[in-house]
Order: sequence, then structure tokens, then C-alpha cells
Amino acid sequence: MAGVQFKQWALEYVLSDEETAQLELARKAAREIESSHANSTVVGNWAASIQQWMSPAHDDDQLDDIQASGGGNIITRAKGAYSMMLNRQPEYDFSSDSLGTIFTALSFLSSTLEALDKGTLKSDQGIPVSPVQSSCVIPYADLLSVQRLIGFFGSMFSYDHKAGITAASKALRQLSAMKGFKPPMGVKILEDVCKIKEDFRLQTALTRLEVYELFLRLLQDSAVASELQHKYGSSAGFILDLLELCANERDPRNLMTWFKTITVLLKDYDLSPEVAEEIFKTFSAYFPISLRNTTTQIAITADDLKEAIRSCFAAHHCISSFVFPFLLQKLDQGDAVTVAVKLDILKTMRACVESYGNPQISLAPYVEKLWNSLKYEVRNGDVKETIDATLDVLRAIAKRLDGTSGQKLNVSLLTDYVDLVIRDCRDDLSKPSYTKQAGLLLITVICATVRGYLLYNASFIDFLRQNIRQPKSPSHTDDLLLLLNSFLKSRMELVVQRGEKYREDQESLNCEAHTHLKSLFHDIYLPIWSKRAAEPTSEEGDVLKKVAEGLARLATQQVVQPTGDIVLLNSPPVCSEICSLLTEELIKGLDMNPDDSKSDDHTLEDQVVLALRTIVMVYRDGYAELVARAVAEIRKRDWANPSHHSLNSLRDLLSRLSFIGCSKIPAHIAMTTPSKKPYSPLQHFVTFVASLLDLFPLTRQAHEECLANAHIVSSLHAGLLWFRDACDEKYGNAVFTWGSTNQINLKEIPDDFFTAVHRGDVTLVSLSESSPSVYHEFVKLGLFLVVHLYRSATLGPRELWSERALVQVSQMAALITRMLSIDEQVSLNLAHEAFNFFRRPNDEAVEKNLSYVSSGLLTLGILQGLRPEAMTELVSLLSVYQSQLNKANSSQYALGGVAEQFMCDACDLMQHQQKASDIRGAICTVLANKFKPGPSFSNSESLTLNQTFDFWAEWIKNATSLEKGISSESFEVILPIALGVITGSIARQDKHVLDLVPILHQAISNKHANGEILAKSMGILFKPNNLLSPEYHAILKRFYRQWAYFSITKPLFALAQPAAADGHSASRYRIAIIFMVANCPFTIYQDDLDSLIPLLITSLTGGSNSNSFTGKDVVFTQAFAALQILTEILGNGPDALKSHLREIINGAKMIYSKCCGNVGDENLAATRTRCRKLALHVLGMIPLKFEERHIIAYAPPTQRMLAVACGDAVRKVREVARQARASWAKVA
Amino acid sequence: MEGRGLDNANPTILSVSQLPSRRRKGGAVRRGPDSKCDSIVYPRQHWPYGSGVSSGEDDEEEDEEEPIDEQDIFDLISTISDPEHPHTLGQLSVVRLPDIHLSPSPAKLPSPDALVTVRVDLTPTINHCSLATVIGLAVRCRLEQTLPPNYRVEVKMKEGSHAQDDQVNKQLGDKERVAAALENDTLQRMVDKMLSTCV
Repeated sequence: MAGVQFKQWALEYVLSDEETAQLELARKAAREIESSHANSTVVGNWAASIQQWMSPAHDDDQLDDIQASGGGNIITRAKGAYSMMLNRQPEYDFSSDSLGTIFTALSFLSSTLEALDKGTLKSDQGIPVSPVQSSCVIPYADLLSVQRLIGFFGSMFSYDHKAGITAASKALRQLSAMKGFKPPMGVKILEDVCKIKEDFRLQTALTRLEVYELFLRLLQDSAVASELQHKYGSSAGFILDLLELCANERDPRNLMTWFKTITVLLKDYDLSPEVAEEIFKTFSAYFPISLRNTTTQIAITADDLKEAIRSCFAAHHCISSFVFPFLLQKLDQGDAVTVAVKLDILKTMRACVESYGNPQISLAPYVEKLWNSLKYEVRNGDVKETIDATLDVLRAIAKRLDGTSGQKLNVSLLTDYVDLVIRDCRDDLSKPSYTKQAGLLLITVICATVRGYLLYNASFIDFLRQNIRQPKSPSHTDDLLLLLNSFLKSRMELVVQRGEKYREDQESLNCEAHTHLKSLFHDIYLPIWSKRAAEPTSEEGDVLKKVAEGLARLATQQVVQPTGDIVLLNSPPVCSEICSLLTEELIKGLDMNPDDSKSDDHTLEDQVVLALRTIVMVYRDGYAELVARAVAEIRKRDWANPSHHSLNSLRDLLSRLSFIGCSKIPAHIAMTTPSKKPYSPLQHFVTFVASLLDLFPLTRQAHEECLANAHIVSSLHAGLLWFRDACDEKYGNAVFTWGSTNQINLKEIPDDFFTAVHRGDVTLVSLSESSPSVYHEFVKLGLFLVVHLYRSATLGPRELWSERALVQVSQMAALITRMLSIDEQVSLNLAHEAFNFFRRPNDEAVEKNLSYVSSGLLTLGILQGLRPEAMTELVSLLSVYQSQLNKANSSQYALGGVAEQFMCDACDLMQHQQKASDIRGAICTVLANKFKPGPSFSNSESLTLNQTFDFWAEWIKNATSLEKGISSESFEVILPIALGVITGSIARQDKHVLDLVPILHQAISNKHANGEILAKSMGILFKPNNLLSPEYHAILKRFYRQWAYFSITKPLFALAQPAAADGHSASRYRIAIIFMVANCPFTIYQDDLDSLIPLLITSLTGGSNSNSFTGKDVVFTQAFAALQILTEILGNGPDALKSHLREIINGAKMIYSKCCGNVGDENLAATRTRCRKLALHVLGMIPLKFEERHIIAYAPPTQRMLAVACGDAVRKVREVARQARASWAKVA
Repeated sequence: MEGRGLDNANPTILSVSQLPSRRRKGGAVRRGPDSKCDSIVYPRQHWPYGSGVSSGEDDEEEDEEEPIDEQDIFDLISTISDPEHPHTLGQLSVVRLPDIHLSPSPAKLPSPDALVTVRVDLTPTINHCSLATVIGLAVRCRLEQTLPPNYRVEVKMKEGSHAQDDQVNKQLGDKERVAAALENDTLQRMVDKMLSTCV
């Protein structure tokens, strides 16, 4: 029964084209065998199921013979059928079809084996398998089937070499994984497979791959390996057979497996030198390997192949005597070797050096030869990659000669090598052309190991010292300093990594002599600096940069004390001297004349800044000294009427102080003399803040912008930003949380908190450098700083605080507030403080001191950082306007709270400043946005918001109507509030906005002048707005801008077309569209380009009568917006413009000429200049985006116009005109 | 020109920072390691709120009206590459700011369309420089390509700076000879290559 089933499955398998179906059939067969517990009859039937394809079907006699002879032995039957087929070839149809069928039939067997449980196959009788095994008493229960199947599949390699090999290899690999598989069978498989001989290379690559996989599987098997060693010994005849078989392989995939097999042979087998040489010859013939580009996709790269062959080279030191001479010979071919090949050789060399065991024998004999070849790669090389790779090899040699696997070798191996290098390189240090290279070689070899460093560092420094004293040129000094700096860097790396590999290293470093290192500052760096610092030439400037870098390295050197503790190498006075030297350079800028030619080159100062930052991170007292000195220098100057240059110098100095102290968290390293101040990760931050607060105000004299004071506030802001980034880098984005027991009462913070901490009267929480609590403490101190600044700004003299400074304070508040959690924001009552400005009960009222803009900025700062949940009650403030505007003439406020009063003040129509309107709009944007319907909001708040929408809808309708319209001045003051509410609501896609849309559309088209104001203000709804960003906890829907564009802008396109019946409305809609689209990203409006482009053209050319409806300022700002949109379109989708090129070119030219000349209105001059510039920019982009045939007709007049534009009155415009002219000049 | 030895193998070279440049009142853009926060703490426009179309990052100072002056001309031609050294004419001092003359001077310009003559005196690195004509041609081309039509260009060798300055000046002053020279493909390619470093 089972026999028929197997035949049926085999037939279905052969006929099927689908792999999954075939797999299922194989699984069925496997299950059948498993369920019969591998009964020999079942196994026999399974094997015989493919018989029909193994013999000509019509040859019944032969078949009968086979059946008669085979009987129960189905393996013999199948084999017989197979041999018969081969013997009768003349009659047999040996076409490719039938070969394919035989292949598929055999695949049925191999796939079944693959699906079969590995422990299933058993035998029904015990037959000794091999002489070796026959002597052992082992149960043969599992052997027979495996043994016989191996015999069957193994025989394929002797008979048929085309159809059965793949399946047979696959089957053999499966059989080798069976429980019943025994090592002697592996030997037999290898022998059987090798019989294929010359025919192997005729097989397809895929078939060969199966065979390679089989080899790898068998040779990796340790039991098979010992059986092979036992049988063949170190002469390893089977390896020679394998090498002969697999020579000439070219397929990349096969090579990968073959190289892996070779690596296994070299690593795991005991080989005689002759066999090792044979193996080496086989794989080295492929080196250097490359991969030809083919159209067929293979998942192997040239790098994979290089890596694979590299592991053959590095597999075992038994081939070292062949490898090193071979690689050196390849390397020494001179120019014949490309950089890529050279890199491959060097990497291979390094891999060999690093992995060969027993370096005394495998490496030491070749060291001199290696050095003699490699030194030229560095000495005369000009490719950085090759030089680096060579240095890697030289470093690896030193490390290997120092010791292996935690065991130090005899020191003479290393000293012989280093002596060799020093002998060759020492003299080169005095030759400027080779100084750098010689030094690199020396540093690489000496600093590769702690032992080498300790033995040779003093003499190396001595070589440098001698040469630095007698330099050949400034660039020679530069190179020598570079070497000294690199040496110090390498030394620190050795100190940091001490004891990682050898315990002895740590002990030796404890006893390191430091005198020659300590003298570096006074002997080398200081004399060079003092000699050149006064008036450096550009070459000497480079030397000074190296000195600054070196001083940083020197000051941060650490030494291990005999006790094992780490301290700084230099004493505090030396560190202080270094800091003072560098600080001198930093504060020089304050005295520099603006006409000094060097004042634009800041590279030395930048290097000094970096050096100082590095130094004060370990020599912590240095920062307080630096800041104190800088502050003293700043105080010496008069800031009442500073020059522009002085203000820039002040800005630079303060900015650098913030970077030096706050951009990294100081490290806790001991000094030889302990510091007076206890360590705190925040100590530099506190020093910086305390010193700057102490410095404020620099001037009490009120003048236009009070820039000196504003720079102090900006630097405090920079300090917060730097320290926040430093925390983010070190601790990740930790969430700030205070423990409930650790509540802070902001009212109790003294005014001189930071000064007290800086003086040491108040101590901060003791924290370690690695504790994330540093971040928490920072946010707390940041909050204290904000509180301090708010109180100063609201209670101190008004003239000290310019608008610029208040914007900075506001943004600092937003930065710190947003870092607080909801609970903290609530517990600190920040929603209240947004209007109270952290005043204490006894403080005077704000109104006396602050203008609306100032207090508005401070309010906005806190609101911007609040989370929606912490400001639920504030939504009701939006309704204040409703009541206030409804009784416009009333002087009575219905609301009593501070916040309400503040908001009502905002409605004071006397406040006609543009900035006051902007602030009102911004506050309303935040209030309208941070409204999250949910359990935390009551219905009344939703109701308030709805009423607010209704109110503003009504107000806009009335204010723009001819009957009830209000004055344009009043409209301009109040409109930002309405637009702010809409902008904030749009971001969270509030559906009530949709009810407002028709009213907005109607209002825009109203004949009242306010309609035009509304139209040109519509852009604010789409303008990228920092207030609406997720980091400030704004509520944002993902596609809110697309939603708003679709709802508000898109419906207007049809109405705005130049040919529309109502010219007035069309003109207004066009203005609105252009201002809205100009603030949108291209992707939002890219589908509407066909409707948009005519509008752009009309706004440039002025259309037939459109300008009669619009004010002059709108004409220019609208044209500017249109040009901005055109620039976007040209950049992202110029094809849409192809059919409008004539109009666009003419439009750009027209707007350019319209913007030329004196119109008289000063306010419009800047807009006109920007318009001219952008018009020329658009013109210049056109030839870059379109083929010549599209624009050649317009070239002559445009070129003439651009030539004239090159004489524009404004320099920047001339620059753009020249670029446009150059791009049009290419149009023939 | 290939295969020819250099006329002057070791010319004196100025670094870019040593060349005369227009110093901006606002100071150069800060690029140091401490400038990362500049856009936030020292923004160009300190008022971040409000409506309207953003005006880009222009400084108001850059919008001031200033006529073309000698420094403008110097900036136009000092970036032309030397035909034999990998340096610019400014770095090699072939072009010098004091040797650029505008007539009438920019301060006395009667109207924007008034005819202005630009005279540039070139100083070859050595007085027998065989490439002086090519350099002069390149300077002339550059100015004609970048100045408006009301500017007339005169390029000459500075007196006594070249052994054959009369001949060179004659060639450079003759419109037809200049036009004919630019018809020559090799010469045109050479000039194009020299002008490729101009921005």
C-alpha cells in the first residue's frame, strides 16, 4: 500500500512545478516513513518510488531482472535500475527533458530526507560498515539505512554526473546530519564525491555549491575531522584530492564557501608543511581578488570575497613563512598596485599579524622585512587611507611582539623592533619634508604598547625638543608640535586603557617618570607662544593653533599615582598659568581695532575656545578664573555708548564663555593640590550665571536697543541651551520629576541665590558626574534663573530691558517650562505666574513698570511652555475680548482677576503698536491651541470656545461690511487676535473653524478696505509658527495644514481667476491665495499649479485692472509672495511652468522695473529691493530648469535687461543680476 | 601651453584673508564652535512674532543703495585664476585695488545711467610674462560680462611692469583684436577656465 503511495507522491512531485507543493509531498513521504518507524520495507518502497524515471519504461525485462534480484533490498534495486540505464545509453532517450525528470525524482528523495526527523532512519540488520567500526561493539540499529543511502547517493558521483549530483549532495548533507550518521561515513562520502574528478568543473555553479556545502559540513564536523586525521595522518591525502577537485573555481558564491572550507582545513587540521604549502598555493592564486560587474544579481560583494580570502591568510601561523613574503612581494610592485589593492594587502597583513599565534616564530623573523617595505608607504605615501592602514599594521606588530593572550613576551622582541624604527626615523625629524611622517611612525610604534611607551617616551620627547629648538621653518615647528600633540593624545589613551589587557601595564604606569612631561609647558609651548603671540603671520597663526591644542592636551594629562589613584599631571599653578595664557588671547578681541586686518580671522580664537573648554572640564578652578578675568575686563570698558565693533566683541566673548563652561559637564578628576571648591557637575553653569547676573546691567543709560544688556541675557539663554544639550548627550532625554516631598516654593528664592551658590554660602546637592539627577538639578536652577530674570524685568528699572532682551527671557522661560511635567507645572502654579511674573506678595504692581509688549512677551514665554493640562482654566480668557469689545467704550472691567485684567488691557485700542498686536495674536494662538477636550475640561470651557468662534465670526463680518465697518487702524489692531484664535484652532483641526470659512471668504471680498487687510493677513494661518511645535506641547494634527488648505484656500481658486466676472472679488481672493500659498510647503499646493500659475502671473504683471483695487504696499508684497511661490515651483516642479514661460519672464521683468526708481515711500523701499532681487533670482533660475529650445526666443531681450540690472543701485541685487546674466549667457 | 616651463616658478602669494575686502558693519557671520545657538540667541530678526510674508534673512544694511566702486571691480576680477598657477590674480597681486580707477568716481556720479570708464592696471608677476595678454583678455571679458552697458572697460599693463607693455596695451585696447582673439577656440577655452573660479 505504502509503495503505491510513495510512487504516487513521487509522480506528483515530478509533475509539479510549484516548490511549495513539492515540499508538501516530501513532508508527506517523511511523515509516512516516520510513522512506520523507518520500517525497512517502507524505506525501500520510498527509495523505489523513483524507479520509473531511473530506467526506460518500456524495458520490462530489465526491470523484472532488477526486481527479481533486488527483492527486499530496494537500494540495490534502485541502483540496479540506475546502472542499467547508464549501460543502455544508446537506446535510452538521454535528452535534457529526461535528465531534468531524473533530477526532480532524486530531489524527491533528498527533500524527503530534509523533512525527515533526524533520528528516524534505522536498520533491520547489522552489517559491519567499515573495518574500523567492525572492531567496535556498537549497536547498528540506526546505521543501515543511513549507510545504504550514503552508498546509493555516493555512487551518483561515479555514474551520472549531470542529473543526480545536486540532489545527491543535498541528500548526503542531510544524511550527515542524521543521528545514525557515523564519522567513517563522512570519510566515505568525501572519497565518493572526489571520484567525480574532472567532471566537477563541468557541473553548474549551483550544483558545485551543493558539493561545497557538503564538504564544509563534513570538514567542520570534529568527529569526521578526527576520523580523517586518523586515516590519513598529516600527509592528508584527501586534502590534495579536494584541492585538485576545486581548483579553478570562479563563481563568487562557491568561492565564499570554498574559502571557508580552506580556513577550516588550516585551522582545525594538523598539516604537514607540504600540504600547508599546497593549500596556500590554492587560495593565494586568487589574491588580490576582485569581482567583475555582472547583470545577474548576487548577494555577494567584492568586500565579502576579500574578507573571506583574508581569513584564509590569517587562519593559522603554519603558513606564515609563505604569507609574509608573498604579501610583501605584492606590495613592493610599486605603481602597478592600485590604492584599493594596496589597502587589501595591508588589511590582510594586519589580520595575519593579529591572529597568528606564536609570534616568536610566525612574526619575529619577518619584522625587519615588513618594516623595510612598510616605512616607505608612510614616508613617501600621499594617500591617507594607505598611510593609516600601514600604521595599523605597524601598530599591530608592536602589540603582537609585546605579548599574546594576556601573556607578555620577552621584551627584546619589542625593543628590537622599536630600535629598528627609531634608527630609521630619528634623523628624518630634522628634515621638514619628512618630519610629520617620521614622527607618525615613531608615535605609532612607541605608543602601541605601555611597555614601549615607558621605555621610549622620554627619548622621543627629547628628539622633538631638540628639533623644536632649531626649527627649519614655521611649518617645521607646526609639524613638530603636531607630533607632540599626537604623542600626548596617545599617552592619554594608554592611561585610560591601562590594565585592560595586561595587569603588568597598570603596575608599570604607576611608576612612570613625569619630569620630562611636566617641563613641556615651560620648555616648549610657552616659549613658542610668547615669541609669536604678539603679531602672528598666517603661518605663525597655524603654529599658535597647534600650541593651543597642545596646551589643552598637556593640561588634561592624567597620571597614575603609586596608590593607583588618578590625578592631573600638572600642578594647579601650571594649569592656572596655561588658562591665563589662553584667556589673554580670548579677551584680546575687546581691545582690537575694527580696522585690524586680523579681526575677521577667528580661527585662532576658536582653537583657544576649544582648548579652554577641554582644560576647564578637568582643571575646574580654571573656569572661575577665566570668567572673573573676562568680567573684570568687560567692566573696565564704558558701555554707555559702545561702538558696533565693541558690541560684537562683547557678544563673542560672552558667547564663548557660555560655550566653554556650559557645553560639557565637568569631570571629577583630582589635583595634586585639592581644589578649595567641592566638585559639582553644575559648578561651571552656576559660575557663569552668577557672574553674568552680577554683570547685568552693563549700562543704565537708556538708548535704542541696549544691546550690551541684551547680549548678557542672550548669553544666559545660550548657557541654558548648551547645558541642556550637554545633559541630553550624556543622560539621554531624562524626564524631569521632583519627588512630592521636594516641593519648591518659588516665592522663597532669594534674589542673590546664584551669587550665594557661587560664593559657596549655599551648597548645591552633591551629585556625581554620571547621575541623571544632574539634569533635574539643572532644570531647577534654570527655573530659578527664569524667576530671577522675570522679577528683574518686571520690578527693576524699565530702561535696562530692551525688547530684544525680553524676547530672550521669554524664550528662556518657554525652554525651562516645557521641560517640566504636568504635575510640576500645576504645583508651581505656572498658569497663574504667566500673568503674575513670579512676584511676591509685597512686590509692587507690574503695570507701573512694563509696557504691554513687555508684559505680553513675559506672559507668552510661560504659556508657550505649558502643557494643555496645566492651563485648563486659561481658555476662558479668550472670552474676555467678547465682553470687552461688546462694550468698547466702557472703562469698567467686568472681570477682576489679574489675568483677565491683563487680557483686557490687550484690547486697549490705544495700543496701536504692530508689536502689541503680534503679541496678542500669539497669546491667543497658544490659548486656542492648548485646548484638549477630555475629562480635564468642563463643558463650560468647550462652550466658551464655541462662543468665542461665534463672536469672532460676527466681528469679522461686521468689521468688513460697508455699513458697520470699523476704521482700518482698529481693524489692524484687533484682527491678529481673531487670526490667532483661528490659527491655534486650525492646528488641532477644530471643526468649528469650518463654520468660519464662508464668513472669512465673504469678508475678504467685501468692498470695505478692511477686506484687503484681511486678505493679506491670511498668510498667518499657514505661516510656520514656533509656538505651534510639538516640543512646546502644542496640539497638532498630522495633516492640519493640508486640511486648512483644502478648506480655506482651495475653494477660492475658481473665484480668483483673472477672467472671473467679479473683478474686485477676484483680486481680493488672489491676494489671499498668494499670501496663504507662499507660507505653505510645495507639496500642499502642487496639485493646483494649473489654477495657481495664472494668479501668480497676474500679480506680477498687474493684470488688466486688478491693481486699481489694491493698495501700493499690497502690490509689492503680493508680487514678492508670488515670486517666492515661483521660486518654489521652479525648484520642485518646473514642468508646470513650461507653457507660461513668456508670461513669467515678462512678469518678472515688469515687476523688476516697477520696483526700480524712487517711489518716495521709505517703508516700501526694502520691499521693493527684495522684490527686485527675487525677480532676478527667478529669471536666473529659468535657464537652469528648461531646455534651450523653450527659452531661446526670450534670450536677447532678457540678456539686455539683465545687463542693465547689473548696474542696480543695491549691491546685493547686482550680485543676483550677475548670476542671472551668467545663466542666460549660456543660452546661445 | 602644456609642456612649457613656468614663467615665474615662485611668485609671492597672498592668503585670501590678506586681500582687500569690504568689511561689513554687522561683523562676519560667526562660525566658531560656540556659534551653534546663534540663530536662537542672536537672531537676525529679533522679533519672531507677527504676520506677513517672511522677508528671508536679509540684513537691512545689505539693502542700502551703494554705487559700483573700486572694491566691487576688485571683487569681480580678483577671483580670476592665473593661467599657470593654482592661485587667483588677487592672491598673486596681478590685480591690486589701488590700480583700479573709476571715472567719474562713484561719489560724483551724476545719474545712474551716466557713462563710467573703468581702468584696470595689471601688474604681471614678472616683466616678461608671456601670458600678460591672456590675463588682460580675461579681465576684460569678466568686466564686460558683469558690468552694465554704461561702463567702458580699459585694461592695461601698469607702466613699467611689463617689458612689452605698449604692445600688450595695444592688443587689449583694440576691440577688433579682442573680438578676433575670442574667436580662437583655444584662447576662449583658456579664458573660460580662468573665469570658472569667479563667483
